[in-house]
Amino acid sequence: MPELSYREAVRDTLAAAMRADDDVFVMGEDIAEMGGSMGVTQGLFDEFGPERVRNTPISEMAIVGAGIGAAMQGMRPVVEIMYEDFLTLSMEQLVNQAAKHRYMSGGQLKVPLTIRTQGGAGWSPGAQHAQQLEAWFVHVPGLKVAFPSTPADARGILWSAIYDDNPVIVFEHRLLYPIKEQVPEKIEPIPLGKARIVQEGTDVTVIAIGPLVHRSVAAAKEAAEDGISVEIVDPRTLQPLDVETLVASVKKTNRAVVAHEAVTRGGFGAEVAAVLQAEAFDWLDAPIERVGAKFAPLAFAPAMEQFVIPQPADVLAAIRKTVGRGD
Amino acid sequence: MATEVKLPRLGQGMEAGTIVKWLKAEGDRVERGDPLYELDTEKVTQEVEAEASGVLLKIAVQSGEVPVGQTVAVIGEAGEAVPDPGGARHRDERVTPASKEAKSSGSEVAVAGARHHDRSGASRQQANGGRIKASPLARRIARERGIDLGGLSGTGPDGRIVAEDVERAQAAPAAPAALPAGDVESIPLTTVRRTIARRLTAAWEVPVFELVVSADMTRANALVARARELDPDVRVTVTDVLAKLAALALVRHPEVNVQFADDAILRFPRANIGIAAAAPQGLVVPVVHGADELSLTELATRRAEVIGRARENRLRQEDIDGGTFTISNLGMYGVEQFVAVLNPPQAAILAVGATQDRAVVVDGDVVVRPMLTLTLTVDHRAVDGAPAADFLRTLKSFLEEPGLAL
Repeated sequence: MPELSYREAVRDTLAAAMRADDDVFVMGEDIAEMGGSMGVTQGLFDEFGPERVRNTPISEMAIVGAGIGAAMQGMRPVVEIMYEDFLTLSMEQLVNQAAKHRYMSGGQLKVPLTIRTQGGAGWSPGAQHAQQLEAWFVHVPGLKVAFPSTPADARGILWSAIYDDNPVIVFEHRLLYPIKEQVPEKIEPIPLGKARIVQEGTDVTVIAIGPLVHRSVAAAKEAAEDGISVEIVDPRTLQPLDVETLVASVKKTNRAVVAHEAVTRGGFGAEVAAVLQAEAFDWLDAPIERVGAKFAPLAFAPAMEQFVIPQPADVLAAIRKTVGRGD
Repeated sequence: MATEVKLPRLGQGMEAGTIVKWLKAEGDRVERGDPLYELDTEKVTQEVEAEASGVLLKIAVQSGEVPVGQTVAVIGEAGEAVPDPGGARHRDERVTPASKEAKSSGSEVAVAGARHHDRSGASRQQANGGRIKASPLARRIARERGIDLGGLSGTGPDGRIVAEDVERAQAAPAAPAALPAGDVESIPLTTVRRTIARRLTAAWEVPVFELVVSADMTRANALVARARELDPDVRVTVTDVLAKLAALALVRHPEVNVQFADDAILRFPRANIGIAAAAPQGLVVPVVHGADELSLTELATRRAEVIGRARENRLRQEDIDGGTFTISNLGMYGVEQFVAVLNPPQAAILAVGATQDRAVVVDGDVVVRPMLTLTLTVDHRAVDGAPAADFLRTLKSFLEEPGLAL
C-alpha cells in the first residue's frame, strides 16, 4: 500500500481519472505550469498538456460557468476555485445554473461538474482567505457537497464526485494537505452519502468534519483518560447525508457533539443537530453540543486566529458537558 | 379583566382533586353558575360551576390531579390576552399536614390547609416553571417502565434527570418486575382507593382500644317491624335504629362525640352518623347529619338517599363531610363480630355483626334470644376506657329497651 499525503491523493485521483477517461479535464487559476497555488496539480500539465490542464482568467464566475457548459456538453470537468472564499464570486453559476439545469430540463441535461476548492485557518491567511463556507451549499437543492478529511477519503470521494452526474463541490482544507496515510493501491470509490466511523466508543458521539475530525481524535484521547469513551463519525459527504449511520451511533451512545471549523451559528452542525433530535429524540440523554468557530471574522494575528477557531480543548469541553462532567 | 379559575377547596381537608373532564371547550361562552368541569375529589365526583361569566379562554389543565388553588383555566373576554397560568402554578399552601388533617371534619372546625400530594416533585416542578427537567432518554425509559419522574432527583447539569437516575430508581424495587407476566394484574389506583389507603394508614397510627358488647335485639327488631308496618314506603332497617340510638347515646355521652386535634379535643354538639357503605368505586362513608334530632323515618329516608347516591357514584361533598361517628354493619354478610378500623379524624367507630339466635342465661334460665355483638373502636388519645364503656352500656340498654332513649 502506498503512503500518500492528502495533496498527493487529490493529484493522484485527478491523474488517474484523466488517464482513464478523455472526458475528464481540469481548469482553474494558475493550475497548469505553476501546479496550483497549493501545489495540488503539480505535474499534471507535463503529463496531459494544455488542452486538458487549462489556466483560466481570474474570474470564478467564468471558471464555474465554463465548467457547467462543458459538463452539459458531455465532459466531466474538474474546476478549481483557489480559495473557497472566492466561491462567493461564482454563486450565481453554482446556485442558479449548476444546481438547476437537470431539474429545469426535466432530466434532459446533466451537469457532471466537480468543483474543488480549499480553505481553512491555521496559517494566518486572514479574514478573506480561510473561511469555511460548506453549510451555504448544503442549503441548495441540486448540489452535492463533500468534505473528505483523510488522503484515502479524498481519493475515493473525488473519484465518485467526478463520475457523479450532478455538480459536486469538494472542500479540501489547507492544513490537511500534508497529512499522510497508507492508501489502497487502486482507487476505491467511496459512495457519496456514506459516513465513516473514525473510532468506536460508547459514551458520546462526536460528528466532525474536515480538520475537526483530527482535533476530535485528540480530544477523545484525553477524554479516554477520564474514562469517557468517545465515538467519532465523519459524514464525509454533507449532502447527501448518511443520516442512518449518524442516528445509529447516537442511539448507541445517547449523546452527541457536532464539530466543524466553520462558524457555529448557522453552521452544518445545526443541521445535523436538528436531524438527530428529530430521529433520535427519545435516545438523547443530554442536549446536543455544538463546536465551531466563534462568531467573528477570522483574525490575522496567529494567537487570535487560534482563539477564534475550535481547538481540541473545545471538543473535549463539549464532550465533558454532554456526559455531565463539565465545569 | 381575565379571571383565573382555581381549583376550589370543596371540603375541609381537601388537598387536591382530579379533573375528569371539561364540560366546556376553549372559546365557549360561559355564564357564572354554568357547570364547567367534572372534578373527582377524595370520594365524590361532582360538577364545578363557573365563578365568572365570559369566554373560556384557556384550559390550563385538561385532566389529572391538581392541588387546591392551582389555576386550571382562564375566563375572560374574547380576544383578551391570557395571563400565564404557569406563573401562578403551585402556589405553596403547605401546612403541617398531620395536625391540620385531624381537624378536617366537623362543622365549626377551622379550615384545614392544603397539602401537595407529592411534595418533592411539586417543589421541583415549581422551580422549573411546572416542568420536570429530564432528558428525552430518561423520559422514554420512565414511560416504558412506568416510573414517575416526579419522585426522582436528577444528577445531570442543573438537576436534570438523566437516564442513569431512572435506571437507579428502577433498580431499587425489583419485586413487581419479578412477578410472572400474565398472572398478575396491575390495577392503577383510583382517587377513592388512594384516599382509602391514605386515611386508613393514618388510622393505623392512632392508639386505639376495642370494647365488645352483646345486646338482646328482641325489642329493637319489634320496633323495626312495627315501623315498617306503620310506614311501608320507608323501609326502616336495623342500621337506622342503630344510627338513631347511637346518636342519642352520643348526645348523652358528649365525651365520646369528639375528635382529637393536636392541641385540643373537639367536642361536637350534634351527632352526625356516618354509615360505611360498599359502593362500586370502593368504601365510602356517607353521613346522616343531626341524626339525634331526626325521627326514625326521617333518618331512614336520609340514609336511603345518601346510600343511593353512593351506589350511583353521585355523592356530593356535603354528603361525606362532617361525620362525628361511624357505623360499619357487616351483619347482612353473616359476620358475627369484627373490629373496624378507625375513620379518622373521628374518635370512634362501631362494628356491627349479624343478629343471631343464641342461648343466653336470663334469670337463671337458658333461653334463646336474638343477639347482636357490637365492637366499639376508640381513639384512646381522645377518649378513655370508662366513658367509652359507659357510652356502650347506654347504647346496649337503648337497643334492649328503646323506650329508654326517649
